Amino acid sequence: MSAALLARLKDEYGAVRGALPDSVVGGARRREAIETLCAQGLPATREENWRYANLRVLERARFAPCPCAAQVADLPAPLEGFPRLVFVDGVLAAGEPVQHAGLEVHSLRSGAQGADSSSAQRIAALPEARLALLNEAFATDGAALRVRREAGAARIELLFVACAPAQTGASYPRVHLSIEAGARLTLVERHLSAGDEASLVNGALRVDLAEGACLEHYRLQQTSARAAWFDTAEATLAKDARYSLIALSAGALAAHSTVHIRLAGPGAEIALCAAAIGDRQQSQDTYVLSEHMAPRTRTEQIFRGIASGRARVAFNGKIAVRENARGTDSRQSLRGLLAGPEAEIDLRPQLEIYTDEVRCSHGATAGKLDENMLFYLLSRGLEPEVAQRLLKWAFLEDVVSRIELPELRRCIEHELAGRMSELASLKELLR
Amino acid sequence: MLKIDNLHVAVEGQEILKGLTLEVPAGEVHAIMGPNGSGKSTLAHVLAGRPGYEVVSGTVTFQGRDLLSLPPEQRAREGMFLGFQYPVEIPGVNNVYLLKAAVNAARKHRGLPEVDAFEFLTLVREKMHLMRMDESMLSRGVNEGFSGGEKKRNEVLQMLVLEPRLAVLDETDSGLDIDALKVVANGVNTLRAPERSLVLVTHYQRLLDYIVPDRVHVLVKGRIVQSGDKTLALELERRGYDWLIGEPESPGRRAAGHDGRAASAIEGARLAGRPS
Repeated sequence: MSAALLARLKDEYGAVRGALPDSVVGGARRREAIETLCAQGLPATREENWRYANLRVLERARFAPCPCAAQVADLPAPLEGFPRLVFVDGVLAAGEPVQHAGLEVHSLRSGAQGADSSSAQRIAALPEARLALLNEAFATDGAALRVRREAGAARIELLFVACAPAQTGASYPRVHLSIEAGARLTLVERHLSAGDEASLVNGALRVDLAEGACLEHYRLQQTSARAAWFDTAEATLAKDARYSLIALSAGALAAHSTVHIRLAGPGAEIALCAAAIGDRQQSQDTYVLSEHMAPRTRTEQIFRGIASGRARVAFNGKIAVRENARGTDSRQSLRGLLAGPEAEIDLRPQLEIYTDEVRCSHGATAGKLDENMLFYLLSRGLEPEVAQRLLKWAFLEDVVSRIELPELRRCIEHELAGRMSELASLKELLR
Repeated sequence: MLKIDNLHVAVEGQEILKGLTLEVPAGEVHAIMGPNGSGKSTLAHVLAGRPGYEVVSGTVTFQGRDLLSLPPEQRAREGMFLGFQYPVEIPGVNNVYLLKAAVNAARKHRGLPEVDAFEFLTLVREKMHLMRMDESMLSRGVNEGFSGGEKKRNEVLQMLVLEPRLAVLDETDSGLDIDALKVVANGVNTLRAPERSLVLVTHYQRLLDYIVPDRVHVLVKGRIVQSGDKTLALELERRGYDWLIGEPESPGRRAAGHDGRAASAIEGARLAGRPS
């Protein structure tokens, strides 16, 4: 399978390379990305970190970028106070010029930022991250954001809409985000589908946080039930930088996300709260590596996953503490809820410690809905379906309660209610 | 109100209730007493419809209807309430909203519109005041981080708000200090009414000092072996259960009626892994 697939990948690249914009990624880097990928091979489920991913979707997809889609109607309402950029199939489609002092936003295709050659090597440094090379080779546009200290509390929403079916090509969302020393940004990143096409989305995100920079990042993956959604994110945190990432993945037939956090400066801090909901045949797979490379760095990792139907929900959370990362403090809490006899939950907490004087705690549990809780709710007169959905929702509370934007929180609760209940009144059963 | 006739119930193949017969007319408060492992909690759970309890034979009618044919949620909506011995913590599900959902489920069942949010909160606050509960518990998860006593108060609070026709309180007095016991008893007493029945499942006579029952029944080995008025509870307090058990008992077992902790430890060991 793999050799034929790689041959096809090369062919597709050869056929379209002349049309790929240099301003997004230079031609030499694209070629290098394809060569590296061909040398390493595409990810396979025999590899530990891809074991639970659904990679079969790649076999049916066309790798070359899909043709530019028409404008998309019926976008969700923008969040108040958040300027918004809309990318359709990875290409900037709409967005008011952002008028916020200290916040620079460019489309990569516009070339205003200039291609950043350091990003590719960084993102694809890990074998787990090599789908980022695919993005590197084929990306047609993306967003470059730079936040300076004078931006104060800057905010922005990036909306990525998948339209095209995978047979006509893939889309490659790409984001370069750089937050300068002492600057702050709240970023809402949403991935949706315009219809119910089986699109292939393969995103790459690079985040650089300078000293004392602060990023509050909300990531929602709500693509169509037939889509394949792959994503590779890499963040590097300098001294005392703080990164809060709240990720909710509920869409796609096959979703796989790789997150690599490099705590490179002393005192840097990552709080990653992820929730994944899988139903029917969905696979939701996440790999997170938190790499402690400097003293007094902190990681908090929370994952809550619910698998119903025949879904598979997996989370592989690794915390690596390097030699000089004394005083590291990491906490990990992974929980899975099996809500169907054929569903599957796979949780892998991993700790790799190469120094002393660290505090690392971790816990992972997977189980069914608690019979005692269920009976308690029934004994108060609640319908069994409502009771079950209520308990599922409550299970996600540890993640949802971290959302500090009321409007976004309501939006997510609404989304969850839509997924887990036809009953609008359910929402008010929650705190 | 409630009529239980020759009820046999098994748990994991083992018969716990062995021909229990009991009638609780409307407006009365009945106490069910008995040693550990006699089947008191089994009775409470069977009435509420907990899965895992197999009704082998016998009937239970509630307001003239076959109670055993109804699923738990419908029993609740028909006006049956179980106060749990061990109320479960449900983090993430708000206490007051669960109450509201429960009230609305019952109202919907009776063809009534949903309760007005403001009036509802006023009512809940009033009942919380009666139960001497801190208002902060309104916004917390169901029983989340509550102490043992707070959980029991919360059970009674739910009962006061739901105003059931029949309330079965399963050892609501256990684990309460004397002040909390008075608060709980006071709450229960406010609910006494001609159209409402209460069944108190308890080990000790102490609760019955504050909630004076119309009838007292002694449950031993799955059967009611003695019934009487409130003086029966006093007699049990004085004499223990041995005279009703009718067979020689070990010294440890004899302590059951007098020293709850000793009895619990002994029974707990003997009954390990078996529901009581």
